Amino acid sequence: MGRLEEIKLAKEIIQALLKAKKAVRMYPENNPIYARTVDDVLLKFQDFFTSRSDLHLRIKQNELFLDTEQIYHNPDKEDNLALFFFKDGLRELIFDKDLAKNELDEFLKIIALDFDREAVEDDIVTLLWEKDFHAIKYVVDEAFLLEDDTYESRAVSEVKSLAPQNDELLKAYADAFTADDVKDISIVNLSDKDLQTLVREIEKDLEEKTGKLSEILFEMLFHTESSIEYNDIYHFLTDVIFYSLRHGDLKTVVEIMKKADEIAASPASSENSKHQMRLLTKTLSSDESIKYLGEILESEEALDDTLIHEYVSFLEKDAIPPFISTLGQLKSIHGRKQVINILIGIGKKDLPALAKGLHDSRWYVVRNIIYILRHIGDKKAVEYLLSTARHSDVRVRKESIKALGELKSPLALQILRDCLDDIDTSIRRTSAKSLSSIGSETAKQLLMRKISEKDFKKKDLEEKKEFYEALSRWNDDAMADFVLKTLRKKSIFNKASVDENRACAAYCLGIMERTEALSALSKLKDTKNRLLREYVNAALKRIKHGS
Amino acid sequence: MAVRETAEAIKNARDIINQFAVIVRTAQIHDPNNVAVLTAIDRLIVTVNPFVDAGSSLHLELIGEFFYLNEARIRYPMEYLLNFDFLVREFKRRGLGNITVSSRITSEDIQKFVKAFISCSFSGEPFQALSKALADVHSLTVGHLKKISEEGEFDVRRLVKKTYFNAVSYTKGVITKIQGGEKFSIKKAKRVVESMVDMILEEEELLIGMTAIKDYDEYTYHHSVNVSILSVALGQRLGLNKKALTEIGLVALFHDIGKIEVPAEILNKPTNFSEDEWRIMKRHPFWGVRAILKLKGLDATSIRTAIVAFEHHLNYDMSGYPRISKPLVLDFYSKIVSLADQYDAMTSARVYSRIPLAPDKALSIMMERAGTQLDPLLFKFFINMIGVFPIGTLVLLDTKELGLVYGCNTMFPDRPRVLVIIDGTGKRIESRIVDLTERGPRGAYVRSIVKTMDPNKYRINLAEYLL
Repeated sequence: MGRLEEIKLAKEIIQALLKAKKAVRMYPENNPIYARTVDDVLLKFQDFFTSRSDLHLRIKQNELFLDTEQIYHNPDKEDNLALFFFKDGLRELIFDKDLAKNELDEFLKIIALDFDREAVEDDIVTLLWEKDFHAIKYVVDEAFLLEDDTYESRAVSEVKSLAPQNDELLKAYADAFTADDVKDISIVNLSDKDLQTLVREIEKDLEEKTGKLSEILFEMLFHTESSIEYNDIYHFLTDVIFYSLRHGDLKTVVEIMKKADEIAASPASSENSKHQMRLLTKTLSSDESIKYLGEILESEEALDDTLIHEYVSFLEKDAIPPFISTLGQLKSIHGRKQVINILIGIGKKDLPALAKGLHDSRWYVVRNIIYILRHIGDKKAVEYLLSTARHSDVRVRKESIKALGELKSPLALQILRDCLDDIDTSIRRTSAKSLSSIGSETAKQLLMRKISEKDFKKKDLEEKKEFYEALSRWNDDAMADFVLKTLRKKSIFNKASVDENRACAAYCLGIMERTEALSALSKLKDTKNRLLREYVNAALKRIKHGS
Repeated sequence: MAVRETAEAIKNARDIINQFAVIVRTAQIHDPNNVAVLTAIDRLIVTVNPFVDAGSSLHLELIGEFFYLNEARIRYPMEYLLNFDFLVREFKRRGLGNITVSSRITSEDIQKFVKAFISCSFSGEPFQALSKALADVHSLTVGHLKKISEEGEFDVRRLVKKTYFNAVSYTKGVITKIQGGEKFSIKKAKRVVESMVDMILEEEELLIGMTAIKDYDEYTYHHSVNVSILSVALGQRLGLNKKALTEIGLVALFHDIGKIEVPAEILNKPTNFSEDEWRIMKRHPFWGVRAILKLKGLDATSIRTAIVAFEHHLNYDMSGYPRISKPLVLDFYSKIVSLADQYDAMTSARVYSRIPLAPDKALSIMMERAGTQLDPLLFKFFINMIGVFPIGTLVLLDTKELGLVYGCNTMFPDRPRVLVIIDGTGKRIESRIVDLTERGPRGAYVRSIVKTMDPNKYRINLAEYLL
């Protein structure tokens, strides 16, 4: 291969690197474009290595050279590959012909980092150094590390000038002959057991260190000599809480809170320290903390329920609004479930704060809040829920009606009655169930009236069935009479829908297990209408033998 | 595929060295024809011959303290440490520098080699004996152990010096910045420590030797760098990886950062501390945590640095300071830094006791503290690292020459290189380096150490000789 060809190939490598720098940043590793990009760069290198055993790049501020030939030039500051290497002190980069794909991939990941924007703790030299590549070597100019380039010469001359004018070397020589003989000092032998102990210790050392730091910070509290020092430690503990949450370490946070509680409860603690420790609870309930907790709850990692429970026990009502906001942001069902459970726990501390979530623009957040209020079970929630029964989203309305029923408030009767006429069948059915849950005389009357209406029998079978099922909760003689009347009601007109209604009445009597209905039901056990016959026989069986 | 191949090659390289050590060890106990030896030989063949079949020869070379396979340095995990060290020692004992396998090797070839390898150690000229015994083995050749040239050594020493003083200068800059309330770049700190780690991986004894000079005017900065060097060196002995070595180097560099809060008149006080002054001095671990966490916020390094800053005087048995209400499990790095800190402090002037101790005295005090104040296991590694005759020890040789230990020999700890400064007739001379592993024509050592003395006692300025 000629010189010109080599230069051409080297230039192609640089262009491929520039392209890869963007692609690696943009695409995940499992994306085909990512894999193709790495393969392309490797191919370019392999082409070059057919004639040379290495690619030795010299780096200047705006240029890259192959030997004396400039193969890259960019006067701009942006996207300047030469400057990117140069600024951290890289002066030469050598790619050996043994360059393997995995090393190239790792190298590309390093150069793809956006050092200006991302929180990268290391510079490019450190990252290359840590990788300890086999086939990628580099030369670094360490001059910029020097704080003072005359330091060495000054320090050496100073220390040498300290030499006593007259050392006592000859006296040392004379004394040496009378000094003790060298004892038999041998190197300490290491046993296999020593090595095993060491390996265990090194493995143990991989554990997270934040817990240890927090232990130290609490120890430091005992050594504070001023409120400034105490405040500093309080701030460090706050930092540890945030850091732990960012790293998914709930255990450390729980331990911190337990210790803070102990201090806050101890009669020996000063008022200031009690106050500071209480403030840590506020930290735990802050927007930032809850956001991180949301990320933990959403992660795929298995979480310890007891730990979450302990964690939640430290939360205050201030945590409710950020939790509502987090609820709207979480993507996974299991994450949202966890937050809902937490809000069921802490929501009772401040219902008005929780109810604010009912005004959220996202229908699913509103539905979740209604669900939470339903599970909290506080009747005070009804006043907030009433408006949600008229929400624009049917899923919200359904949840709201269900909640109103479970909360058994008479205030809900009016709205539930209206809902019995809703155009949506699921709303009507849920309302019937809710009225049944309320179980009051008014609720009973509302349902009986609705069933008695002329058009009721026109409703579809499932709806009718649910209405009768709702009625069955008032299992008394009056209700049995009312249903028996329906069962006996025959008609020449609309025979099919009337028989459907009778079948539902049979179903209801079966649920109520009313023996006085046996005679009426028995008469119908061989009726021609298949549906009525099936329901009647099912009811007879149930009344005779129980469910 | 390439990933697998590279990983496979590294693993094979480690296995070759490990397996070779196993063969030699087994053959030293049993006859080379024993089934245990033969089984081990078969295993080695399975790993070696694929190299040859693939068209490349296999060149195993010992350079310094490390093995290189086809010019690539072989890094090894902890479980191989004993075998690697054993083989380095056995190679050096015979003056064997390299083995090249150029064609397929047989069990008989290796048996011959093993027999020759074992028997040559009894010869006055072991390498020549080995070479001669292998004359009819065509699949492998051996080469003599190369000595680092004096000129090369001079360059290396210059580089080591540069690395050391860069680190001190950087530390001084950082401490000055912190005192002035300025921020400093952790990226730069890492680069400084990385260059020290590189130097320790390649030239451990020389960089440790730099810590032997204790008369600098700016003790604080030198002490920080010395503790960092000794901690990294110990970490390397413990088999920590490069990233962990950088971390421990950084952590150690800032272990005493809390002393910036100690008033200068106490820090530089020429006489003993009063009770009050001691109380203030003992607060520096507390102030250290505060300084670190205020400066940098929380990340993995600052957390570790803060922990070590707090614990480095706490002691293995928690008997130190600051006093704590509940026992802590001492951090692994804290135990390392404590050893390095105590050793450097004891062998330096102008620290609490004000009387610098000779290295051997310091080590014997530390030996008494192992198990109470110091971790006994890590101390074993530490004492092996410092060596029997640390650099700077004043020694009388059996030739009646007086000199200073100039370079340690890890494999022959009692046979360091010595800078002779008084000749056998008792005259001061222009210093010259002698190697105590040098043997005379009859195979006996030319020189051996018979006495050791404390250079401080005779006001000998080590810097004059070692820098």
